[in-house]
Amino acid sequence: MRSEEEVNQAIELYADMIRRICFLHLKNHADTEDVLQEVFLKYVLHSVAFKSREHEKAWLIRVTLNLCKDLKKSLFRHNTIPLDVLSEEAASVMPEQLEVLEAVLSLPSKYKNVIYLHYFEGYTAREISMMLHKKENTVYSLLSRGRKLLKQKLGGDSIA
Amino acid sequence: MHDKIQEAFGQIHATDQMKHAVSDYLAQNTYNTEKKPASFQLRPLLAVCALLLICFKFGSWYLWETPISYVSVDVNPSIELALNRMNHVTKANGLNKEGQILLNHVSLKGKNYLNAVELLVRCDAMQPYLTDNADLTITVASSNADQLISGLKESVVTEQYQGMCRRANMDAVESAHKCGMSLGKYQLYQTLSEYDTNITPEECHHMSMYQLHELLLDYETATDPSNNDENSADAATNPPGNDEHSKDTDTEHSFNNDNSKDTDTNHSITNENSYEVEEDCGHHGDHCHKNH
Repeated sequence: MRSEEEVNQAIELYADMIRRICFLHLKNHADTEDVLQEVFLKYVLHSVAFKSREHEKAWLIRVTLNLCKDLKKSLFRHNTIPLDVLSEEAASVMPEQLEVLEAVLSLPSKYKNVIYLHYFEGYTAREISMMLHKKENTVYSLLSRGRKLLKQKLGGDSIA
Repeated sequence: MHDKIQEAFGQIHATDQMKHAVSDYLAQNTYNTEKKPASFQLRPLLAVCALLLICFKFGSWYLWETPISYVSVDVNPSIELALNRMNHVTKANGLNKEGQILLNHVSLKGKNYLNAVELLVRCDAMQPYLTDNADLTITVASSNADQLISGLKESVVTEQYQGMCRRANMDAVESAHKCGMSLGKYQLYQTLSEYDTNITPEECHHMSMYQLHELLLDYETATDPSNNDENSADAATNPPGNDEHSKDTDTEHSFNNDNSKDTDTNHSITNENSYEVEEDCGHHGDHCHKNH
């Protein structure tokens, strides 16, 4: 089990990233908090040492995506009425950025993940393919289609 | 696009409240009580498993191991079978040397009582004992004795081997065990002791059923007033159960030869009545004797 100090450091480093991935997939704060807690619980109990910070980060991304997927799969969640996550964030985000976020959130999940990981986290298609267990060419295709969809939603000029 | 997405997602942060909630959650679920949930879940599970195991053991013991009936098979080998509620043999005990040797040749445990008795009577090791002068006696002590005896009456034990089926009280089982005797021999000992108070369980224990029956017949003949004077005089000169008689019983041939005529007669009577079930013989010597 990891030490409290190690875990606090990880929370400071990765909580924002996990929050953003949750933002892509989940509909409200309560679910986000649940996933955050579960991710770090798994992190605490994960006894295998990471080779590097990058390895650690990639592990956390994978765990977060899996937990989000599990949460969405549960029948109970399907039957609940989701709150609009953007309205919860509206107060702290500028209108122009809100439009971009809305466009990304409206994409299907498979595009959202690769767009976020490539454009925000800076991962290459190869790294994303390893992280998501997809072929590299598939990731390229997803990136290309996702970008195309985003352009359509935001208009050619604003995304250029 | 890159910058816009960077800027947009850069606005999304985990709030301090979220981080505190994570820290609190981890503090509650890992650092303080890391292993408690598992042990708390395991403990009742283990308790239930242990309880079920105990119930199962007790149930199987109650059904299969508790002896509720006893069947003794006596010729000279004396064997006692303890039966469970299902009338299956839970224990087979050789009560004399011959019985113990016989049990080395047959495995009776777990068998239905009828199969067990038939197996015992039919086994090769038993055949040398089942001579013309042998009395095969099956004694049953059970609350369900009628059913057990009824089964025995229809089996080869009585139909082919002319075995006699008797009933004994459950109280007699404990007394017989105390004397180290089988039920069948103990019953005869009780009857004989009414005629001769000096007779001991040890003496009876070493005699065959045929010898015991002969001895009993001897006493009854001696005490029966309807017999002629000659017989009475013979019996009077040879009082049952005294030291002289004990010597006779040691030498089986002399004992048999003295009564050879009577024996033949007795056997014909025995055969005629061999299907009859004698009830409460151990306590009613007269009734027992009438069938011989």
